[in-house]
Amino acid sequence: MPIPADLRERIPEYAIDYPNVESGRDARREAMLVADAIVVGSGAGGAVAAALLAEAGLEVLMIEEGSLEKTDSFSTDVPEMIRRLYRDAGATMILGRPGMIFAEGRCVGGSTVINGGMYWRAPDRILERWEREERLPAIGPGAMEPFFTEVERKAHPETNLPDTFGRHGVLFAEGAGKLGWNATPNLRNMRRCTGLNNCAFGCPTGAKQSMLVTYIPRALRAGARLLADARVSRIRFDNARAVGVRGCFVGANRRPTYGFSAYAPMVIVAAGARHTVGILKRSGLCGRWLGRNLTTHPNAKVVGIFDARLDAWRGAHQVYQIHDFLEQGILIGYAMIQPGLLAATLPGPIQANAELMSLYNHFLPVGCLIEDTGTGRVLLGPDGEPHMIYCLNRKDCATLHEGVAKTTELLFAAGARRVLLPFADLPEATSPDDVGRIRSRPPSPNGMELMTVHIMGSARMGVDARRGATDAFGRVFGVDGLYVADASLFPGPIGVNPQETIMALVARNTRRWIETDAQRLHRWRRGPLGAGHA
Amino acid sequence: MAVLQGIPQQNDTANPVRRFVAQALRNLSPTSTSILRAAIAGLRPRGHGFDQPIDEDVLAEIDRTIPCFPPLFRLGFWLGLRVLEWGPLVFTGRPTRLTRMGCDQATRYLDGWLRSRSALRRMLLFGVRTLVYLAFYQHPSVLHAMEVDWDRRMGETIRLRADTLDRETHADPR
Repeated sequence: MPIPADLRERIPEYAIDYPNVESGRDARREAMLVADAIVVGSGAGGAVAAALLAEAGLEVLMIEEGSLEKTDSFSTDVPEMIRRLYRDAGATMILGRPGMIFAEGRCVGGSTVINGGMYWRAPDRILERWEREERLPAIGPGAMEPFFTEVERKAHPETNLPDTFGRHGVLFAEGAGKLGWNATPNLRNMRRCTGLNNCAFGCPTGAKQSMLVTYIPRALRAGARLLADARVSRIRFDNARAVGVRGCFVGANRRPTYGFSAYAPMVIVAAGARHTVGILKRSGLCGRWLGRNLTTHPNAKVVGIFDARLDAWRGAHQVYQIHDFLEQGILIGYAMIQPGLLAATLPGPIQANAELMSLYNHFLPVGCLIEDTGTGRVLLGPDGEPHMIYCLNRKDCATLHEGVAKTTELLFAAGARRVLLPFADLPEATSPDDVGRIRSRPPSPNGMELMTVHIMGSARMGVDARRGATDAFGRVFGVDGLYVADASLFPGPIGVNPQETIMALVARNTRRWIETDAQRLHRWRRGPLGAGHA
Repeated sequence: MAVLQGIPQQNDTANPVRRFVAQALRNLSPTSTSILRAAIAGLRPRGHGFDQPIDEDVLAEIDRTIPCFPPLFRLGFWLGLRVLEWGPLVFTGRPTRLTRMGCDQATRYLDGWLRSRSALRRMLLFGVRTLVYLAFYQHPSVLHAMEVDWDRRMGETIRLRADTLDRETHADPR
């Protein structure tokens, strides 16, 4: 749908300028680039690192595999937006028991362009554990406070106004209230969200304050350059020092075209917990913790069917969450899902799908996410791509059952007539009495339908190389000038949406790099490449 | 190969719409196209207001999505379609294949995959079904039948946000 001209002028996010951006699609030959710092990836980690480094006076080159898709180009055409914004068109699988669908962004702004914008600090107990048990310095709640405050100033977390809740949001809160639970108003990085609920396919209203409209423009204004449609395949080394990256431009059909090399004394990899490991492993790094310790926040979906029509597609995305069970590792939230995506995950035979989907306007999908205790791995496949393997352990399986049971209780309390469950052998609950059947189901991952949008921990921080892939500030052990800046760094899962924690952690680390690694930069600028560049 | 002949397949080239779509499909081979067409016929929702004749649009949408998949996935998809085609013979010993089946028979056959003990078979069908449902239920005519108008709501919410921001700017000119 084309946006009327009068509206185009009144939405500030449509007017954002993106200077210094080049697309690999326009490349007509091989290229060599030079900078002070290379940032691979432009999501929650990469964008923050790039902006802070550029503001510190460094010449920053951001390299992003996806395209620059501006706010005014977003639409409600779901298949089209999936092709433009999602990695592998959303078809990434985590192999294991059970197999899990994983979705992440591949565009300028990364997954922040396609997430719900939930903006929560890591709970204090998690940060305290990282400080106390992992012995990581300056990462407790007190030490992280200024960095959380710093990123909140830019990302602007706020709660939705009541006129955007939608009927389903009110019902969700009522159901929680009847059970004596608190429906916590959800903090989301947004500015005056009007409740389109298209967050997962780019926010055409411009309300979501993703990296695309916050830190990326900030980095570009500070002089950073952005190379979109360019895929980094490996790091370049000079002995034990990272000196740049090698990769290829990506054409309009997503096929590789020309190669490129980029050189800098600082190489920051922020490609997400899967591809950061892929790039480092392809480059020949093989630290003990690289690719291990993958955690996923497994997520089970439960759909309530109500007698009354809810039209849950009218109203904001996840206005409330239930935080009462975070200590047990359970987070409950709801989100209306577009019909095309919801249909494929509904239980039952093919013949029954049409009948179920005819009730779409009576649906309220609710998800429970768990803070997992098990870990998986990221491995390089025969195709040279990183693949994830993760099996749900017995404890997490039991936690998920409890989460599904609680979610079902909530939906019945809210007035649902039937509840569709994520178990092949127990596809539906028809009364609150069935909640007991969920709890008594053997905690087996077989026949469970799960998905995730949070992966973390695959290049975890540690005090030494025996305990982590990077040091406590994201420097890769054993390689000078190589840094990690994304959720790979987390020593463990955090139990809430990770965007703010990634941003704050990267802000903390980047400031440290600027302080401590200036000497190397100084030497580089006096060297042959740096001098020519300066 | 007489034993493999079941219900006669419709002649693709006889129908001008199909011929046009087949020409427009650039990413699926003719064999993949015909298998996928049969799978769509078996998987697509029927009844309950979902009888829109959009199978060719669904096919074209899937064709546009294929290049976005990683190479290994594309190879798996190519291979999977062929397993789906010859599945009746391989798994049940029935002398037919997917492209020779009628819609109801194909639905029953594909439903068997969904209930299969093999995770690989279930996963393959889950992938194909996701592609089909995504293209089918997001089709404008289907959304219209479901009384879901996300597009109009987009216009409304953008206007509402512009008005809200205007009001705030006027209230606080800083």
